[in-house]
This record gives sequence, structure tokens and C-alpha cells, in this order.
Amino acid sequence: MAGGKKALTKEEELLLQDFSRNVSTKSSALFYGNAFIVSAIPIWLFWRIHQMDPYQSAILFVVVTLVSTWLVAFAYKNVKFVLKHKVAQKREEAVTREIMKKLVDDKKMSKKEKDERILWKKNEVADYEATTFSIFYNNVLFLMLVIIASFYVLSSFQPGINYIISVGTAGGLLALFSTGSQ
Amino acid sequence: MMAVKWILFAVLSSVCFNISLQDEICSSPSVTSNIYTTTDGVILSDIAFIAELVVTCQNGVKDLALYADVDGVTIPAMKSLDNNKYQVSWTEVPKKVQDGVRILRMYDEEGYSALRKVQRSGEDTSSIRPLFTVTINHQGTYQGPWVQSELIAVLLAMFLWYLAYSTKSRIQS
Repeated sequence: MAGGKKALTKEEELLLQDFSRNVSTKSSALFYGNAFIVSAIPIWLFWRIHQMDPYQSAILFVVVTLVSTWLVAFAYKNVKFVLKHKVAQKREEAVTREIMKKLVDDKKMSKKEKDERILWKKNEVADYEATTFSIFYNNVLFLMLVIIASFYVLSSFQPGINYIISVGTAGGLLALFSTGSQ
Repeated sequence: MMAVKWILFAVLSSVCFNISLQDEICSSPSVTSNIYTTTDGVILSDIAFIAELVVTCQNGVKDLALYADVDGVTIPAMKSLDNNKYQVSWTEVPKKVQDGVRILRMYDEEGYSALRKVQRSGEDTSSIRPLFTVTINHQGTYQGPWVQSELIAVLLAMFLWYLAYSTKSRIQS
């Protein structure tokens, strides 16, 4: 049985990798929606604190927010992929135990079917956890970079320039960091 | 010739009369004061002190020439057109301003010359009794918050990021 289990782990990993890169439509919508919200937050900062007129700088706000949305969503996806793999490994044991407990009375179900269920459940758990954590982690990092850049690094610049560079750099760094830690 | 003498006499006597009126000492003055001090110094370079005084002398003397002595500095008081209103104002650098009660010692012309004399000879000026004193209570000047709000925002964001990063490392380990 030990050999079977080992083979299964490999199978799982393959399956997981297959699953990971292809983000589902629902997940993608979640990513882009969140990325848009977090990219739009700096508009308030530059409108109310840095005194930029929202009507005069509307085009700037829209363009930078859209670029930043794309960059942040890109970072979400990458971080999610890296984490999902690890989360799946970490949760494997618990998920297996839980599913086995549920199916312990089900004598009819074959071993293969049980394993598939475990795999499916593990994938679901890992996907959910990695998605939410990826959003949280990238949001925190993005907002921290924006605050530091806009208040300290670029404080002497014109608000418009400050906005473009701080939000652009934050988004860019986010995307860069997300590809770094494979 | 006689007419000229008369005119001269009239002018001289009027001058003397005026002087004698001016020299009359204000007895037991009652003073109402309206004090302003700058309390918000965030964008200011100087702190202003303004004391508006309404001085009513018991013997009805008006048009006083008043001088204020604030911690050894003498400032002449401005006189309004309605004769019994005066204003003393000055500014100080925010760093040197002391919070709390300040005493404005007000002198009339006589007291002022006595004060000058004592100041010149380097003696203690407290022996010269002022006509009256005005108390100015400066509650302190607001110089902006101790900690800038953006610093708090940055520290909070860094703390959150630290939590997120440590969690991420734990997951990836």
C-alpha cells in the first residue's frame, strides 16, 4: 500500500500543478475585482491628502488605476500559485483524515474514488486558502509601498508625478516580487 | 502791540493749561482688558500677544500716554481715538514663548520716565510701582501633532506587512 500512496502523491502534485495555473473564471473575477479596489484606494489619498482635483486628473487616475489593477492581479495569481502548492502539502494530512472519517462507513466506495475525493477536497481547500491569503498579502504590500513612496520618497514631487510613480512603482514591485519567490 | 501781547498770553496760557491737563495723574484706574494670544502656531513664524485695555480714571483723566513693561521690554501702548481705549501688542518667536501667566506692568508718562531712569542705572525695576497691571494668560501654542499621521499609517502598514510576510514564510517553509 505504501507504494500506492507514493504514486498517489506524485499524481496529486501533477494534478495540483495542472489546476493551479489555470485560474477559474470565478477566481479571476475575484482577483480583478480586488485588484481594482486596492488600486483605486490611492485615488482617495491623492485627492484628499495630496490635494489633486479628481475632475482635472480623471484621465490620469483611470489610466494608472487600470495599469495597477493588471499588475496587482498578476501578482495575486503568481503568489496564489506558489502558495497553493505549499498549502496543499500542509493541509494534506488534515484533509485526508477528515474525508476518511466521513467515508469510513461507506464500504461501497472504492479506494480510488476515496483518493480522488481527498484530492478534490485538498485542491479546494488549498485553492481557497491560497487565493484569500494571496489577496491579503499583496494588498498589504501594495498599500505599504504606496504610503512609503507617496509620503516619504516622493513627497517633494508634484502630486501628479507622485501619484504616477508611487502607484506605478508599488504595482511594478508587487508584480516583480511575485515572480521572484517561486 | 497790545493785541499781539494778548494773543501771546492766550496761546501760552492754553499751552500751559493743556500741559497741566496732560500731566494730571490718573487716580485709581479701573481697567477692563481683552486679551488675545496666538494658540495655533502650525503655519506661523511668530506668536502674537494683543491686550486691548479700556482705562477709566476715577478723576476723569483721559488721553494718557501709557507704556507697558513685559519682562523688561518696554512697549508704548497705542491709543484709540475715543481716548480711553489702549492697545499693547507684540510678537515673539515661538521657541522662546513661555506658556502661562505673564504680567503686563503699565506705566504712565511719569512712571515710565522713572522706570527708564532705574533701567539706565541698572537697578531693580520692581521698586517702580506701575499704574496698573494686566495679566495675560498664554495657554500655549499648538505646534502640530507630536507624531505625524502618515508615520502612524506607515508603521501600521509595516506591522501588517510583517504579519503577512511571516505567515507567508511559514506557509512556504
